[in-house]
Amino acid sequence: MRRNARVLIVIALIVAVCGTILGIQKIEFSQFERGGDTPLGLSLGLDLQGGSHLVYEAALRDQQTGEPIEVSEDQMHSLVKTIERRINSSGLGEPIIQILGNDRLLIQLPGVRDPGRAKTLIGETARLEFKHRSISVDPVALDYIVPEDVVSITADDMRADGKLMSELTPDDINDQTKTLVSFPSLVVDFSEFGADKFQQVALNLSISIALSMDAAQRGDILPPDLLVVSVTGEEELRFQVMGDQIQRMATTTRYVIALPAGEDRMSGVITTAQAREKLGTNPLIKFELRKGYSDEDIGLSGDDLKNAYPSQHQGSGAPIVSIEFDDRGTKLFGELTKDIYAKQQETGFRDQIAIMLDGRELIAPVVNSPITAGTAIIQGPDFTLERVKDLSLLLESGRLPIPIELIQERDVDAILGADSLRKSVIAGMIGLMLVLLFMTLYYRIPGLVASIALIIYAVIVLAVFKILPVTLTLSGVAAAILSIGMAVDANILIFERMKDELRAGRTMLSAINIGFNRAWPAIRDGNVSTLITCAILYWFSDQLGATIVQGFAVTLAIGVLISMFSAIVVSRSLMRVLALTPISRKISLFIPSGGKEIADRRSS
Amino acid sequence: MDFVGKRFWFFLISLLVITPGVIFLIIAPGLRPGIDFTGGSSMTLQFQESSSVTQQEMREALSNHGYSESTVQNLGNNSFFVRTKQLDEEAKDSLVEGLTTSLAPGSGNVLQGFDLVSPVVAQETVLNAFWAVLAAAVGIFFYVWWAFRNVPSPFRYGLAAIAALLHDATIVVGIFAILGEVLQMEVNTMFLIALLTVIGYSVNDTIVVFDKIRENVLIYANRPFPEIVNLSIAETIGRSINTSFTLLVTLLALILFGGATIREFLIVLLIGVVVGTYSSIAVASQILVTWEQKGIALPFGKKA
Repeated sequence: MRRNARVLIVIALIVAVCGTILGIQKIEFSQFERGGDTPLGLSLGLDLQGGSHLVYEAALRDQQTGEPIEVSEDQMHSLVKTIERRINSSGLGEPIIQILGNDRLLIQLPGVRDPGRAKTLIGETARLEFKHRSISVDPVALDYIVPEDVVSITADDMRADGKLMSELTPDDINDQTKTLVSFPSLVVDFSEFGADKFQQVALNLSISIALSMDAAQRGDILPPDLLVVSVTGEEELRFQVMGDQIQRMATTTRYVIALPAGEDRMSGVITTAQAREKLGTNPLIKFELRKGYSDEDIGLSGDDLKNAYPSQHQGSGAPIVSIEFDDRGTKLFGELTKDIYAKQQETGFRDQIAIMLDGRELIAPVVNSPITAGTAIIQGPDFTLERVKDLSLLLESGRLPIPIELIQERDVDAILGADSLRKSVIAGMIGLMLVLLFMTLYYRIPGLVASIALIIYAVIVLAVFKILPVTLTLSGVAAAILSIGMAVDANILIFERMKDELRAGRTMLSAINIGFNRAWPAIRDGNVSTLITCAILYWFSDQLGATIVQGFAVTLAIGVLISMFSAIVVSRSLMRVLALTPISRKISLFIPSGGKEIADRRSS
Repeated sequence: MDFVGKRFWFFLISLLVITPGVIFLIIAPGLRPGIDFTGGSSMTLQFQESSSVTQQEMREALSNHGYSESTVQNLGNNSFFVRTKQLDEEAKDSLVEGLTTSLAPGSGNVLQGFDLVSPVVAQETVLNAFWAVLAAAVGIFFYVWWAFRNVPSPFRYGLAAIAALLHDATIVVGIFAILGEVLQMEVNTMFLIALLTVIGYSVNDTIVVFDKIRENVLIYANRPFPEIVNLSIAETIGRSINTSFTLLVTLLALILFGGATIREFLIVLLIGVVVGTYSSIAVASQILVTWEQKGIALPFGKKA
């Protein structure tokens, strides 16, 4: 009795936990999230639940002309494969992906748990590239600024208030409140047209400085672009400046470029007087642009990855993506790091590895020693846990063979129709009620116990489906029906055996025990062979890519395991407890027919 | 009841049920693959605001125009996404016109998009599922062989269980080939799943009967085998009838009161439950007896 009571308490606890799991629509712990606004928070497939209906169009364009390029059937098929992989491993539910016409893709996703995330996962091309970033770049002449663009070149001092010393009025000079420092500068007057050209150059230079400062704040090194100015007059004057040392005098076509004031190793200090001397009377000016860095494609990309998985940075704990290269990738990455390291040793220039995703830089680490083991990590300033998870997924599933554009987005109803499904659910309930009624009427008390066990079974199965989670589709429902059938069958087997034992004149308790023991081999073999079937179906469909069969196998296996528990543990414990109560003396309540005779026989 | 004595009648009945189905399977077109496997045409239809067409009405209208094997998804606002078998220009125009007239006359131009659409499930899936089932059958054979190792000739039980499984699958597929010919029913993913379910049920049911034989063979070691089998069937028939009865009740409730979209699926399950229960008694067990008697050529039931 004690033992039975303990088992009953455990069963009650399990039912309570499962009931709570089903009762709470949405379960959320830090990283664990289950449920949603579906019935009982179960995750349902598209045949049972509506969702989003997304239509994408291939956006393959010629890089030069921007003209659309026709996509091939193969490209569309590999597009489907990649997106399928991405969605299937993301937990967004089982999608339906179909090619529409020649160059469009229909994607239907069950439920709308996170449409934004779904769209990012589907649409990102995820082209990961590793580039050699050189920080010593030769300057390139800006030939499009021709001598005609320049009207005059002079050297002058510019005061901190933006006024040129040679153009100060007597009032300015007498203004005793302003004793301002001044800087030696080169003053270039452009033609209207020339000033426009030079403005673009100056703008790009200042953008480059802003980027560089941004990078510095993140702790990265990103040298800014430099403008190399060479003036040939009496003597050659050559120096380089950053974007913040170039100023346009307001409302004029005049630019003031600071002369080097000491920090510039290449040109040293140049005073205004020296510059004037060098300029002479008819100087000629030439501009060159020295990029701060240049990225060289070495043919190493996400295609060379073997593995990508989310992890945490050992130092900062920040979410990162760890990657492992395949053989080719390991070799290329090894060469890259060796080259960079060697150059660093020879010239002192600390080149970087630029890691780019879809053309955007994620991180550009320096190399402290050659890495030949073929592993690396990727960090990003905006990396969150979710982003890192998705990124790993994108990298592993491969990049999209062609870029795509979302052209239509709508909500869609379940394939089997919400109205039709509602009717089916009600009909299923009626069917189940009839089964419970039949069992109770035919098998009396044991039937009632079996009915209770069956309800407990249903609660546990649904809770397990919700927690794992198992996406329920029609194939899952079919598997569930089969496993319910097997649960009912197990109970019926037990009762038939029990009835035999009672007829043979055993006591209630021993009839129950022997009934269960006799029925066990049949239940075991039936269930084990079903589990073997599930395992083989699962393994095979995994190899061959038949997802629907796989879903069926998983649901059936879960159902069968729980149905064994329900028949053997739940029914048996309830029956044993009942056998110890006064009810058990009424044998006719325990067997379908002929119970009266047995009772009579016993009393006589 | 003498079940064993009627075994050749049982075999004859099975043969009579299987043969037409197999004939229909062999002669073209055999099973008709549904749009899940073949792809077809898809269209988006937008009816006028005031029409309030339901998904069910849409499905019925498609059925009436001879496109019962279509899927309909409501996009909201009287708009539907429909997948049908492949339509040429003419068939499309007449279908769209027909649907408009019967559902929402005066809607103007309802067709918003019309495309060829690729299969949802690759056609190989059916073949793959077939191989998977075959592999599962081999697994079941070995397990049953092992589980019945205490009785004489255990591998016969394994083979008989597989025979019953194939018997049930052939009947279900055969009946569907006939329905395909007569009612234009198509094989879709639902059919595939229903078939897997039937197979699972069939094996389970066979093993229950076999379990009783296993028990009785050990208890009544001196009795002739056919008698033991007969006794075992008699002892399990109550349970067989009750189990299949509960399943049939549930399925019938679903067929009669449930939605139309899963009716075909349920009909397959219904046939499967009947056939699966029948085959355990009338095929699997009788194969054991016949094998024991080594007399397939014996005249009907004379000796048993």
